[in-house]
Amino acid sequence: MEGCPISRETCPKLLDLIPQERKWYHDKEKNNSDQEKKLELRLAPPGGDEEDLSAMKKKKNLETRNNIKKEAEDKPIFNLSGNHFSPSNKTTYAPPHISHKRTAPGPVVGWPPVRSFRKNLASSSSSKLGNDQINKSGEGEKQVEPKREGMFVKINMDSVPIGRKVDLNAYSTYEQLSLAVDKLFRGLLAAQRDTSGGEGEEQPIIGLLNGKGEFTLTYEDNEGDKMLVGDVPWQMFVSSVKRLRVIKSSEISSALKCKLLCSYGNMFYSHN
Amino acid sequence: MAEEEDLSEMTNDVERHLKLDPPKPSSSPPCPSHVLENVLENVLKFLTTRRDRNAVSLVSRSWHHVEAQTRFEVFIGNCYSLSPARLTRRFTRVRSLFLKGKPRFADFNLMPPDWGAQFAPWVAATARAYPWLEKVSLKRMFVSDDDLALLAVSFPGFKELVLLCCEGFGTSGVAVVANKCRQLKVLDLIESEVTDDEVDWISCFPEGETHLESLSFDCVESPINFKALEGLVVRSPCLKKLRTNRFVSLEELHTLMVRAPQLTSLGTGAFSSTHDGAQGEQEPDYASAFRACRSLVCLSGFRELTAEYLPAISPVCANLTSLNFSYANISPDVFKPIIRNCHNIRVFWALDSICDEGLQAVAETCKELRELRIFPFDPSEDSEGPVSGLGLQAISEGCKKLESILYFCQRMTNVAVTAMSENCPQLTVFRLCIMGRHRPDHVTGKPMDDGFGAIVKNCKKLTRLAVSGLLTDQAFSLIGEYGKLIRTLSVAFAGDSDMGLRYILEGCPKLEKLEIRDSPFGDVGLRSGMHRYNDMRFVWMSSCRLSRGACRDIAHTLPSVVVEAFGSDDDDDDDDEDDNADYVETLYMYRSLDGPRKDAPKFVTIL
Repeated sequence: MEGCPISRETCPKLLDLIPQERKWYHDKEKNNSDQEKKLELRLAPPGGDEEDLSAMKKKKNLETRNNIKKEAEDKPIFNLSGNHFSPSNKTTYAPPHISHKRTAPGPVVGWPPVRSFRKNLASSSSSKLGNDQINKSGEGEKQVEPKREGMFVKINMDSVPIGRKVDLNAYSTYEQLSLAVDKLFRGLLAAQRDTSGGEGEEQPIIGLLNGKGEFTLTYEDNEGDKMLVGDVPWQMFVSSVKRLRVIKSSEISSALKCKLLCSYGNMFYSHN
Repeated sequence: MAEEEDLSEMTNDVERHLKLDPPKPSSSPPCPSHVLENVLENVLKFLTTRRDRNAVSLVSRSWHHVEAQTRFEVFIGNCYSLSPARLTRRFTRVRSLFLKGKPRFADFNLMPPDWGAQFAPWVAATARAYPWLEKVSLKRMFVSDDDLALLAVSFPGFKELVLLCCEGFGTSGVAVVANKCRQLKVLDLIESEVTDDEVDWISCFPEGETHLESLSFDCVESPINFKALEGLVVRSPCLKKLRTNRFVSLEELHTLMVRAPQLTSLGTGAFSSTHDGAQGEQEPDYASAFRACRSLVCLSGFRELTAEYLPAISPVCANLTSLNFSYANISPDVFKPIIRNCHNIRVFWALDSICDEGLQAVAETCKELRELRIFPFDPSEDSEGPVSGLGLQAISEGCKKLESILYFCQRMTNVAVTAMSENCPQLTVFRLCIMGRHRPDHVTGKPMDDGFGAIVKNCKKLTRLAVSGLLTDQAFSLIGEYGKLIRTLSVAFAGDSDMGLRYILEGCPKLEKLEIRDSPFGDVGLRSGMHRYNDMRFVWMSSCRLSRGACRDIAHTLPSVVVEAFGSDDDDDDDDEDDNADYVETLYMYRSLDGPRKDAPKFVTIL
């Protein structure tokens, strides 16, 4: 093990960087706090304060309070690179300041305006799992027969606009999955990065599971939590994963990197 | 669908022009001569459109009376705009009734359950007044099993039941209709919530030949008795439309198709096989079953699709005019070979999984396309997505006859939207949903004002518009100015200030239905429409900036407009904020001839 002093329980889950009741989940390391702050994801405008959020929340609390259960599937999505509130994505247009406009991302009732029977498509066709399946629609949909054919989940990668799908039934270990991800995205990533228009050299995507590579593989489970891939036994992962995301390792705070290293170590020792 | 002019608006006109009092049951209206009445009756029978009939009814009292006697189809766009009693008083020989209940935003959980729109009072009134009622179509109404039972026993000649986006009933109600309506031709359950009462309703159809022409139950989320269904299909020689649910397997579908090759419209169930090759049994030849259905022009369903079976539909592709893939996660590679044969498609629905690439293929092949709907496979807000302005632009360049589009995407450009406005002059419906809230043009970073502005300027036939993305008040100025024929407008997360709403209400002369959510429009904007609300069917505003005072003012100034407020949290813990009690979370107001409804639940305040 890496001698990480922090136990698994106190390490925050990946991407719990969104403030919950305005508390950041910090570890005890103070020396990195400044750098961490820069890397932390904010939902307010740059330099924005949380007071703004609370003012709007007063108006929003009705929706979120009344309907947070119903809209459990409208979870905050992976906001890392797609968040148009983040400084890096700030456009040249600056609208007049209207506090209402910068609504807090999070479950929004009835948005996008898709009727609930259409929302079930993603959960019913991406993971056919038999009796363990938890249907998030809240409509008490009947159990579906386990699908023996593919178990496809969507996978996106930072800085690559095109998402792909992987068939998790085709693999039985994290290593295999990691190799598949490399195969899927290596070309696309190279295409994104090539600015000169010529043939760029394709770099293999490695280190997805141990925090050592440029990218790290994460996933969203059936409860909407964002997790590092590799934590749990493979079958448990397959039964709870809803979608995958390959994020830049630099986006993870050092506390979580530690968890990565711990978990990888564990996995290495217990499953080999 | 034919132009809607609903009963309340028309009756409004009548009341104003003719100053009619509701006729007393015993007296008959004044009429110059019997001869004239008979002549008129025979002439008016030729008038079928609502607008013609509404115009005719304004000529004089006798014309009004005769028209009322000869109107067989009644359309009511808002069930609360008039009472059932008024309907039965005015029209005495109704054969067909179309009722709409809840407003559209109720589909997205923006309306608390048990809000209303009960069918019960309507079925009770019509059961007494129209024994010869043949057809009932309901949209977004609450229909109970008892209502269905009453319907089934009250109308001996009942022929058609269509339930769109309804709820409140289950398979037991359906069973009663199946069993008691011996003349039934159409039983269409579409996008409705049907509870599973564990009743074998298919077996409840009576023995012997049926008159069934259309049977749709794809929204029924419970298994059915397949043997009974097969038997029903066999004894329904007139059956043309059959839409099964996902509990019907591909093998079972094959059986049905072989039994009913005369079908014109087919909704498949699960399009995947449980066939176990190891058994040694031959898998059915699906392609030849499709080939045998020579009249098939409409295909839908494809739930739980296994891509390898999709090519089985190839034999019918060239004849298809309508194709619905919106429940199937189909990749471009699987999609393209199929769509290449569909030259006659006019209506196409799909998921965005076909990508811009798939849309390109549609554009190259489907030159007759009139209606396109692209739904999101993964309806979340994301920066990426499989379809974009590229797909939209491709469609506009290939499908010049396009009239109606609904397009969900994650990102869009003004250039693409403008291109569509220029390439598709026949557009009457333009609904673009950029799923990221307040998202600007992803190439230029500017608001989407220019794109939507081009749509209202160039698409001169536009009657329905839904906007999205980052929009300033300027966009609404253009909509108000150029949207001369717009009747329905949907706005979400858009605009800067009250001016946005003012532009709409002071422009858009034909506006009837306005639905707005999460936009910074307040009392000033609301008040600016005071002169219009009597002439509109409804206005919905939720999560805007309205206060109770302004809503009350509307209610007091316009007695024929019912103003409902709900959703404000009365047991808010933040007692320190007094304005919170004044804040109106949701405003739903509509014109009504019979005043506020009596069945409003507690959480609804009628101002």
